[in-house]
Amino acid sequence: MHFSKFMLILAMVCVVFAEAGCSSSSSSGGDTSANPQGKVNLVFWSHQEDAIVGAYKKLISKYQTLHPDVTIEYQTFPYDVYSQKLKASFSAKKPPDIAEFFGTWVPEYSKNDLLVEIPDSENVKKEYYDAPLGGYLRDNKLYGLPLEYNIENGGMLIHPQMLKDQGFDHAPSNWTELVDYAKKLTVRENNVIKVKGFDFVSADNITFTFLSLILQQGASFMGEDGHVNFHSPEAEKAMSTLVSLVADDQVADLTTFGGELDTSDYFFQGKSAMTYRGPWTIAAGQNNYKVDDFEYVSVPSFTEYPPVFAAESGWGLAVSKKSKQQAAALDFIQFISEKENLTTWNTDTFTVPAKKEIAENPEFLKNNPHLKPSLAILALGQWIGPIADRDFFFKQVNDNFQLMASGQQSVQDGLANIEQTINDNQDQHK
Amino acid sequence: MSTAISTNKADKVNPAVKSTAYRAKRRFIIISLVPILLLFGVFAFLPIAWSLGLSAFKYDPLSSNAIFVGAENYIRMFQDSIFLKSLWVTFKFVFIAVLINIVITLLIASAIQRVRIPWLKNGFRTVFFLPTIAPLAGTAIVWNTMFNYNDGLFNMILAKVNMAPIQWLSDPHYALYSVIMMTLWADIGYNIVLFIAGLDSIPDMYYEAATLEGAGRWHVFLHITLPLLRRTLLFVSITTVVSYFQAFPQFQIMTKGGPFNETRVLSLQIYEQAFSSSNMGYASAMATVFLMIILLVTLLQLRWGRTQWEH
Repeated sequence: MHFSKFMLILAMVCVVFAEAGCSSSSSSGGDTSANPQGKVNLVFWSHQEDAIVGAYKKLISKYQTLHPDVTIEYQTFPYDVYSQKLKASFSAKKPPDIAEFFGTWVPEYSKNDLLVEIPDSENVKKEYYDAPLGGYLRDNKLYGLPLEYNIENGGMLIHPQMLKDQGFDHAPSNWTELVDYAKKLTVRENNVIKVKGFDFVSADNITFTFLSLILQQGASFMGEDGHVNFHSPEAEKAMSTLVSLVADDQVADLTTFGGELDTSDYFFQGKSAMTYRGPWTIAAGQNNYKVDDFEYVSVPSFTEYPPVFAAESGWGLAVSKKSKQQAAALDFIQFISEKENLTTWNTDTFTVPAKKEIAENPEFLKNNPHLKPSLAILALGQWIGPIADRDFFFKQVNDNFQLMASGQQSVQDGLANIEQTINDNQDQHK
Repeated sequence: MSTAISTNKADKVNPAVKSTAYRAKRRFIIISLVPILLLFGVFAFLPIAWSLGLSAFKYDPLSSNAIFVGAENYIRMFQDSIFLKSLWVTFKFVFIAVLINIVITLLIASAIQRVRIPWLKNGFRTVFFLPTIAPLAGTAIVWNTMFNYNDGLFNMILAKVNMAPIQWLSDPHYALYSVIMMTLWADIGYNIVLFIAGLDSIPDMYYEAATLEGAGRWHVFLHITLPLLRRTLLFVSITTVVSYFQAFPQFQIMTKGGPFNETRVLSLQIYEQAFSSSNMGYASAMATVFLMIILLVTLLQLRWGRTQWEH
């Protein structure tokens, strides 16, 4: 064989191998169509969490029984990698037919025309609360159906016995009382806090509480052109209040921040008397710690205004525009969003319903009594807004909060830093 | 002598046969090199070139459009306080970790090299090399548990000696040093093995001469071992510096760049900009600058560590 021909063949073989390696189709993502028997195959992705996976499996099984011509291939991924896995599959134009999205991620996809619009958007959106819907809406059109109301505000875990030991026979009913309780409930040994009176120092709650305290003063934290506004007197008062709880009142500290355990874990271990956290932590207490000597109660408003709050849009489902079976995929997510099925999903996953008719159903409250404080304030929730990079946003608030609380930075400087870095980041995503 | 004979024989070979032999030799070399060159081309040079091109664009992988921004990404970089911080943290990490690594590994290698019982010497070499076998990600997870504030091994030891517990990974004063500690534990095996090989290759006659001259141990180490180990030292320092510049899994797993970006090395910042924030163009610009920095540092090391002798 002539040498140049040999080289050509060798080069072609290498290229073919490289191409095969880069583009080999896998069962995940995109490989979906009706097979010769007329059966519809749909690929469905979600993140991994035992209760959520179990709830999806139950509804998939029910759907497949009702639709024997449809097969749903359900694949799950650890939360830490799920967002990037999803992004990679959409960039490679091989996304799953149906994907579970966290509401805050959706605008990036809908803006790039990667998701299917939900039919009859105008009427469907009336069935949901505003906060869980915000992320799924674009130009007044709906690009997914939220399954839960992601609420971190309005409720806290308390140990009634610890309150009783200090002579408190009811939960705090206003902010002054809350601070007073917190100070008396804090237990110290050799200047180290052993039991925190009021713990809110978690990656989510610092930001959510800060934003809500601004809203509860009747102000807004969103400025113009997608920017945040943290140089208002209300923002300064909100941040000063939170910083003061750590720096002056010393009812919480930064020692457990950034560790592996959640603030709710420390609560269930008896290391805090009151912990500001979402109702989803109730399940952790009951299932992981097998404790029931706690209650989930309302957190009073910071002002005389109602306890309005900011919330992200939580987990929901959307259909990929690349799906070859868009109608079947839409049918599946509409099936999950039906009252009966979504009620089951919310109950099994211990999540707060995004759909009004479920949240307002007395039967749901009867079956989930711990959710009472959260269910009572759902209408007061306001969508957090078009945050381009959620992790970056929360990190800026958390990092600067730590510097302010440890006295390394003034509140004014901290707020200026947060505003500047977040707005720069927002501009980069326009 | 033998060279002259072969030259004479070669002179007698027909020029046509000589040319065929030369072509065959050249063909063999090319065939041998093509696969590896293709591999490098597709998986190393092409991505570098691609990244270089991408650095002039604003590109979100979910979008079908890439906007040409010219040098904007580079200009932005030098006004970006987080990038500048990550650059500083990277240099700090590399400088401290490489320095400690080389000092420790050289000391351990010298100690092991003095062991005269072969099985014991091999045993020591194996023990120190063992941590390098474990994947860095796994090692980072295990060390994470040891750094735990509440029930980690290190705070348990501190408690035994009546010392206050430390926030190993979330206190800005300790976080970077904690990661350095873990990195050194996981990585010193390679350099110990390399240094032992380098020390073994130094002829005994120099030491014998020094002993006869009455030189002390420190004098011998400073004036014989170190100069004759210079080539090994150069190789070890270059590979360690390059590898530490690229350190990523331990930071991603143990601290995620926190607290307050005190452990945000450049590789982590590039990764987060590219895959979490979807700023592929900006991440590419940072990667280009990073490549230039590593290249420059390596060239400087090569220049400063150049030797003209052989033993």
